[in-house]
Amino acid sequence: MENNNRNLFVQIREGLYSLPRIWMREFQLIFSDWGVMILIFAVPIIYPMLYSFIYYPEVVRDMPVAVVDLSHSADSRLFIRNIDATPDLKVTANSVSMEEAISMFRNRQVRGIIQIPETFSSGIALHRQTTISTYADMEFFLYYKAMLAGTSFVVLETGNQIQIKNLMNDGLTEMQAEVTARPVKFVDNAMANQAGGFASYGIPAALILIIQQTMIIAIGILAGTTRERHVFGTLVPLDRKRMGAFRLVVGKSGAYFTIYALLSVYMLGMIPEWFGYGQSAGLVELIALIAPFILSSIFLGLTLSVIFKNRESAMMIYLFTSIPLLFLSGIIWPLSNFSTIWSIVRDIFPSSNAIFGYIKMNSLGASIFETRKEILTLWIQTGTYFLTACITYGFQVNFSEHLRGKIASLPIKAIRKRMTTEM
Amino acid sequence: MKSIITNILEVEKREIDRMSSRGLYIIVVLILPVLSILFFSSLLKEGVPTKMPIAIVDLDNTVTSRKIARAIDVTPLSKVTEFLQSETEAMSELRTGNIYGFVVLPENLQTDILESHQPVISYYYQNGFLIAGGLMQNDLTLILNTLSTGINIQKREAMGQPENYIMTQVQPVQLSTHQLFNPTASYPAYITTIILPIMLQLFILLITVYCIGIEIKERTSHEWLHLSDKSIIIALTGKLLPYTVIFFSVMMFQNFMLYKVMQIPNHTSLSWIMLGSLMFVLAYQAIGVFCVGLLPMMRHSLNMAAFYGILALSLCGFSFPVEAMPPVFRYWASGFPVRHYMHIFQSQILAGFELKYSIPSYICLLIFLLLPVIIIQRLKSALIYQTFIENVHKT
Repeated sequence: MENNNRNLFVQIREGLYSLPRIWMREFQLIFSDWGVMILIFAVPIIYPMLYSFIYYPEVVRDMPVAVVDLSHSADSRLFIRNIDATPDLKVTANSVSMEEAISMFRNRQVRGIIQIPETFSSGIALHRQTTISTYADMEFFLYYKAMLAGTSFVVLETGNQIQIKNLMNDGLTEMQAEVTARPVKFVDNAMANQAGGFASYGIPAALILIIQQTMIIAIGILAGTTRERHVFGTLVPLDRKRMGAFRLVVGKSGAYFTIYALLSVYMLGMIPEWFGYGQSAGLVELIALIAPFILSSIFLGLTLSVIFKNRESAMMIYLFTSIPLLFLSGIIWPLSNFSTIWSIVRDIFPSSNAIFGYIKMNSLGASIFETRKEILTLWIQTGTYFLTACITYGFQVNFSEHLRGKIASLPIKAIRKRMTTEM
Repeated sequence: MKSIITNILEVEKREIDRMSSRGLYIIVVLILPVLSILFFSSLLKEGVPTKMPIAIVDLDNTVTSRKIARAIDVTPLSKVTEFLQSETEAMSELRTGNIYGFVVLPENLQTDILESHQPVISYYYQNGFLIAGGLMQNDLTLILNTLSTGINIQKREAMGQPENYIMTQVQPVQLSTHQLFNPTASYPAYITTIILPIMLQLFILLITVYCIGIEIKERTSHEWLHLSDKSIIIALTGKLLPYTVIFFSVMMFQNFMLYKVMQIPNHTSLSWIMLGSLMFVLAYQAIGVFCVGLLPMMRHSLNMAAFYGILALSLCGFSFPVEAMPPVFRYWASGFPVRHYMHIFQSQILAGFELKYSIPSYICLLIFLLLPVIIIQRLKSALIYQTFIENVHKT
């Protein structure tokens, strides 16, 4: 018993000695590999900027529309001016025929058509209901949204004014007419992303996803490269000294953690500040969310990295997952509409909860308590993937040791022969 | 002529042997593309989100306020999952992510309506998620306006106005919205139709770079060139043809899922769809060849293909329109075949416009086929001299 304890003590001491060595060794591997350097430095630094510039205008403003004015009256001209005055729409073709408007639409010169009926003015005068017809472009969600927002606003306002005017003609005071026309007032409060900007919506998710994806791909690439370089295709070197799986996992993770902790300061701190994305989250909240996220991504990456025998495989297998992962996070399709299978798949990947949590914290100012579900899930993932990483690395360590033992017992000639065939 | 064909066939046979020798090929060429088709068609299968959780903060607790709450609950889009006591509580629920929005019915709502005090109903919704936020806003504005109109009508009835007169008065101008070319307003028609080609282009790019790059990396390029009678054209044709066939089949499966299973409107014939799909596959294979010819060391060409491919998601402009981006990106966007393919889809397939509107897009797709010409000599010398091989010290 005492002997066992002593062994354990020795093992821990050795572990602590070799830990910094593994850590530094991983740094050396990363910094000497250009492909990996580009992946984990150039991509996280350049892509957030690039995306920010692409989406810089944030919203669709002044979408070109054609107006088919069959009424040719003062009322219709006022209506057109009001449409033009909305931030969403811009009347680029006025008083054209429907055929002309459709042909402009097909050439993509206009993105929507508004038709004012012949009876527009007389209808208003004679207290008859008139109908404005709009033809919206359904190819792009944002165009449809702009069309709907612009026209329904002007139609409601115009209708309201006519109603008030008529009521006043019936002998009501302006105040009474206003209350009759609008018995209840509404206040529209858009939370999180008030202006509905596209960059503010998409980029926070992209930032989190870039962290996870570049990291997992880099870990996979390095694992594949290591196997290519080792003569017998092992992941763990055939060192004379046995390396424990635990210290391998912790040492390697230390290297990635330091790099990504620094990158996070730039990606999640500086980028939102420079480009004005929501930044309601405090430092403590962000650390509470991002620390388990980085850790779980590293351990997931290490666990999966053992399957790669070649350098290229990681990029080939992982890259495409970025797009489904974006959808799985729940920022595009509402989570309440996920089927059970996809909710389960969603919880496999750290990015899903990290994206959701980051948006909640950053744009709504959610506290740690209000983000508890996400943070807790990330810690569970951290624990699970740490265990799986240790187990898979344990297998690799044992395999290397087993192979070394087998080879060591062979005569030198046989070893040479095996080395040349393996190479 | 005959020898050319036999050479191509021989290279092709060699390539198929190589493909079946490594699991990676079959995974990237067939399994992952089919999985992603199934993923996207299943994730968005409902077409439009339904029953999104929403809360009501009823501070009035009268017949009127309960009627409003019920009216909100019965719309297909939202489902009232919680009744809360205060705005603070509701705001916290919104931050936690349990609800997508809430409506505050103020105290004295009923009395204020009856006494013409114009009460204020506030509604809040999570606009951090574009689709959910937009739908919530539309839905809530619509319901509350309908309710307000209802009260208006009741009052006028009380004033003794005739029924048909009231209707013209409360809504003098009506809006009738016609949705062009996507009558269902369903999201799969926006999203899935473009996302699937974006996914597929990643696989085409990567595997094209890989299958050529690996010959340089593993120094098998001499054998490959030898088999094709030292002609780089024959070598490339023979090598890429099997992938063209497979990716074209995957793309036709994808089209089958979109237009037959998911019932997305299709106004063109099968042969045009086949032509568009084939040109899409070829254009991306050409770009893949260009990448590996430009940077024959595979680790770099693979990175280049990946960085380019992943940008297609933003720059093809299906989520955020290219016309609204800063000008430089408008030119950049034309460098993605998927953007031209999207135009063909939108004007020819979805909208059924005449051919003259989509011909320019077909021509653009053809232009990509010229890309390999630029680097073909460089690629050939890389294959012959094998100068782009990293020195690996085996330990």
